[in-house]
This record gives sequence, C-alpha cells and structure tokens, in this order.
Amino acid sequence: MAEVVVETRGLTKVFGRVRAVDGVDLRVERGEIYGLVGPSGAGKTTLIRMVCGLSRPTAGKALLLGRGIPEERRAVEARLGYMPQERAVYRDLSVEENVHFFGRIYGMGRAEVDRRLKELLALMQMPSLRRQRADRLSGGERQRLSLACALVHDAELLILDEPTIGLDPALRIHFWDHFHALNGRGRTILLTTHYLEEAERCTRVGMMRAGRLVAVGSPAELKARVREQNPAFAERAPTIEEAFLHMTGSAVGGLR
Amino acid sequence: MSFRRTGIVAARVLRQLWHDKRALVITLLVPSLAMILFGFSFSGEIRGIRIVVLDEDQTDLTTSITGNLEADPVFRVAVIHNAGADLEAWLLKKGYRAAIRFPAKFTSLYYAHFAMGVATSAQGRIDLLLDESDPQIAAAVQKGLADALLNVGEGGPVEIEKKDLYGVPVRFIDSFAPAIMGLVVAFACTMLTLMSVVREKVDGTFARVWVSPVRRAEFILGYVAAFSLLALVQSFLVFAIGKAVFNIVVNGSLFWAFLSVILFAVGSVGLGTLLSALARTESQAIVFFPMIMLPSVLLSGMMWPVQAIPGLLRPISYVVPLTYSNRLLRAVMVKGLAPWQEPVGLAGVLVFVFLTIVLASLVLRQSGQE
Repeated sequence: MAEVVVETRGLTKVFGRVRAVDGVDLRVERGEIYGLVGPSGAGKTTLIRMVCGLSRPTAGKALLLGRGIPEERRAVEARLGYMPQERAVYRDLSVEENVHFFGRIYGMGRAEVDRRLKELLALMQMPSLRRQRADRLSGGERQRLSLACALVHDAELLILDEPTIGLDPALRIHFWDHFHALNGRGRTILLTTHYLEEAERCTRVGMMRAGRLVAVGSPAELKARVREQNPAFAERAPTIEEAFLHMTGSAVGGLR
Repeated sequence: MSFRRTGIVAARVLRQLWHDKRALVITLLVPSLAMILFGFSFSGEIRGIRIVVLDEDQTDLTTSITGNLEADPVFRVAVIHNAGADLEAWLLKKGYRAAIRFPAKFTSLYYAHFAMGVATSAQGRIDLLLDESDPQIAAAVQKGLADALLNVGEGGPVEIEKKDLYGVPVRFIDSFAPAIMGLVVAFACTMLTLMSVVREKVDGTFARVWVSPVRRAEFILGYVAAFSLLALVQSFLVFAIGKAVFNIVVNGSLFWAFLSVILFAVGSVGLGTLLSALARTESQAIVFFPMIMLPSVLLSGMMWPVQAIPGLLRPISYVVPLTYSNRLLRAVMVKGLAPWQEPVGLAGVLVFVFLTIVLASLVLRQSGQE
C-alpha cells in the first residue's frame, strides 16, 4: 500500500455553535492529486488550515508526512508547499521579490531561485511582469504569483487552497496540465476547489458538505457508485456534478 | 442631490462604525484620554524634586531655611549632617537633583554682615550643586531655594555659589533632542511593525511564513533588525539636524547614545508585534496611533519633567517606555554618563525590551494558530 502523506482522524473544528469541520477522516496517499470538493462553507479551508498547523483542532488528530501536526510540524515544514486561499503575497514587493523571499526562506540560493523564477514566470504566463509590484497586478495575476510562491521550492507535497479560483478557463486548464506534470514527477497534491469539473481531473476526490467528508473515491468510482444506486442513470452515466448532487443531497451518510 | 441618498450613505458609514466595536470603543476613548492627559499635564506644577541638604552649621537659622524647603511641595528633602559628605555621589548615584550645603560658619557670617549697624563684607554663603540636565528642574530648584531664603532673619544677602554638576549650562533644546530621538524611534518602530504584522495577517502572508521553516524568533528578530537600522538612521537625522541647526550640546559618547536608541527600537518593535494581536484589521491598528503618541509626548518627561506631572497621572509616566528612554538618553547625551550610570533608565529600557519581546513571541504563537 502506498505511503499516506496526509492523514486526519476524526478531525473536528468548532467555531462557537458551528461545527466547521466535523469528524473528518482524510487519507491522501503519495502520488495522488486529491481534490477536496464542496460548496463554499463546506469546511474545506478550515480542514486544510488544521492540516497545515494554522488552526488548532477542537478534536481529532492530523498527520503530515507521518508527523503529528502541530507538535511535529517543524520536522516536515520544508517538504511542504502551501498556498493559502487569500492571494497571499506581499503587495508592496515586486513579483520577483516575492518569489525570492519565499524561495530563500526555504533555504534556496539566490541563483537557484533566479533559475526557478524564470521557469515559473513562463509557466504562469507572466514573464513581462517580473518587476511589477504585486499591488499593480490584476486579481488573476496575483493569484498566479501566489501559486508561484507555493511552487518555488519544489516541495514533495503541495497543499493548495482554491488555486484556480478567479482564473479564466484557458489558464485553469493550463494550471491543471501543470499539476499533472508535477504529479508525473512524483509530487503529491492536495487541493480544494468548488469547480466541480475540476474534480474530474483529480486522481481522487473527497466530497465535503457541512463540515463532513461525505464521499471519497476516484471520479470514475464516484460516478459508478451513483449510477448503481440510482435508476435515473440506467441509460447514461452521471456527470461529476450530478454525482456530487446525489451524494451530498439525499444520499448523505449512506455512501460514506 | 438627494437628501435621501446622502442619509443612506451616512447611515451605512455609522453602521460600519457600530459593527467595529473595537474601533468604536477606542474612538470614544481617545478624546477622553486626550482631554485628561492634556488638561492634567498642562495644569501640573513641578512637585517632589529630590534634593539633599547638608547642614554643617546646624543653627536655628539653617534649620529654619531647611524647614522652608521641606514645607515647599516642590521638594522632597533629605537632610544630612556629616561634614564632608560626597554630594556629587548623591546626585550621580542616588538620583538627587540638587545638593545644598550650609558651611560651618554660615550663620555667623550671615549675621556678621550687619555687624554693629554697618554693612560689612562678611556674607553668608551656600553651596548649591545642581544637576542641570533638565533645565526646568534646575530653574525650579533655584527659585525654590531663593524663596526659602526670604524672610529668615535680619542678616545680609546670601550668596549662592552654584556649581553645575556636568559643568555646562543646558538649554531646553539640549535635553529635548534626546527625547525627540526616543519619540521618533518609539513611534516609527511601534506603528510600522504593528501595521506590517497586521497586514501580513490580513493578506495571508503570515500564514505562509508560519507554515514555512521560519521560526517565531526569526520572524521577530527579522523585524527587529530591519527597524533597528531604520531607528539608527532616524536618530542620526535628529542628531545631525540638532547639531547643525540648533547646535545642541552633546557631552557624552555618541556610541552609547545610538546603542541606547537601538535598544529602545528593539522594545518598540516588540510592542508593535504585541499590539498586532489586538488588531484584526489595519483600521483597528491605526487607532493605536494616539494611544501611543499622547502618553509618550505628555507623560514621559519629554515636554516637562516627570516631577511636574500630577500624582494622579504619575503612575502612567512610570509605565510609559519613553520615560526610561528619556532618562537613559539624557544621561548619555547631556550628562555624559555611561548607560549603566543611569541604572533606572537602563533597567527600564531593558525590562521594556524583555517584556515586549517575550510577550510578542507568545501572542504570535496565538495568532499563528487560531
């Protein structure tokens, strides 16, 4: 069995009276592109933040690369690339200064970051924006810069919170091609998205609703499962959107 | 132009204020604080200057003059009788601001002036050793002493032989410049750190750095290093302009002066980080501006001596960090002392640095993991 790189057991976060994350058991294996899918407010970001040690669980346990989070976070932090949901870059620094900062805190040398910067700028389709200050970038450009900052040190595990939000469709497809290329080089990716069609491109999908992980499987498995249980799909296979609706709607619980 | 729409805009702005309870409380607190601080500070007279009286004569006359000094609320008087006591040490080591010495023959010389109904050359003489590093205090001491000598008897005029402890007359600007140095550093370092850290949290870069190999201590020390450099440049500018334009007197070592400034900058960065825990947004952070500025300007001994601050507010003076920076920097720049010769100021600044950095580190852990 493949190595489990992200694992949570009964992970729960309660804010006041809201159970934002409710007893989630998540297992992400090495080499996967694992997509957490669900509507806004489903608890995806809160789950990710707990996994990264940014939020203390109310109950349950999180393990990252086999180490307990947050206690043993220090042992694995260098192997992790994290992109928060906000377009988290330094607004008053230029594109290259941002990438340099994040590369160098992960121990990369100046020349090494420079090489990497060229690749990333090409990948993000923004080579001419190298010296542009981040606060002059458009929303989508800043989003790409934020992703570049998460990719710069080429971590073995990438945790990306809504990496494609606000991007135009062509660029989203381009990003996904890159995720697959990274995956092909052995990188594991855990990401969140509320674009259901993106779930189709994950190797495995975890569907979240109201703080709970309601269904887990490959896109094909999930669709097949819905088809088996639902006579409405006798003629044709459901789309991933339809599968999601069935699993998170009337089917909640039964398919866990 | 529609009154209705104007009203709707106004209502929305008020509603926003209402929702930001923290900013609202501070918005209401600031005017109250400003009035109380300004009111009391300006109405304050100098009180409780510590002086020592060395009475080597011990007559009714000297006792009566000493009594007058003791009755004056401007002074807190210590009386000693051991002839030849080292008065400089009282000032330098114990923090007394002036020493008055009645020499052994004071009374007889005083009355000898009008011997047999004719004025003679005999004259009572008092030695006054004065810490002139704060011109306002020095003036208050001289005035208080002159008052105490009025109406004490039939003798002649008393000659006061004044000796300046540091050997130079100090103008207001000379003792004001070190305070300005401390103020700009405190202000810039605290506010800039506060704003940057709050911004990092709002923008999410803080979360990124938190997940990276950067340690809390490295994060804080990074800020400390950057802003210490800034503080050095700022205080150099204050010093250079002070010297070039106002020709301020600097008796002490600039090395110690700038080192003291940097030490104070470290504490100010710590304070900024600490305050960042109390502000969730940049607009909440901005309201700390007057909260830091007002007490620093009014209560730190910058504009008038701490002794001139009414008892009610005095305790605040003692917790305002700039009070200690002022003591330290004035000791170094005006008095020409080494930092350790102003133990209260140095200890105050060190405690400030230690407390803020330790607490900042604790609150950062809190902010890192909500």
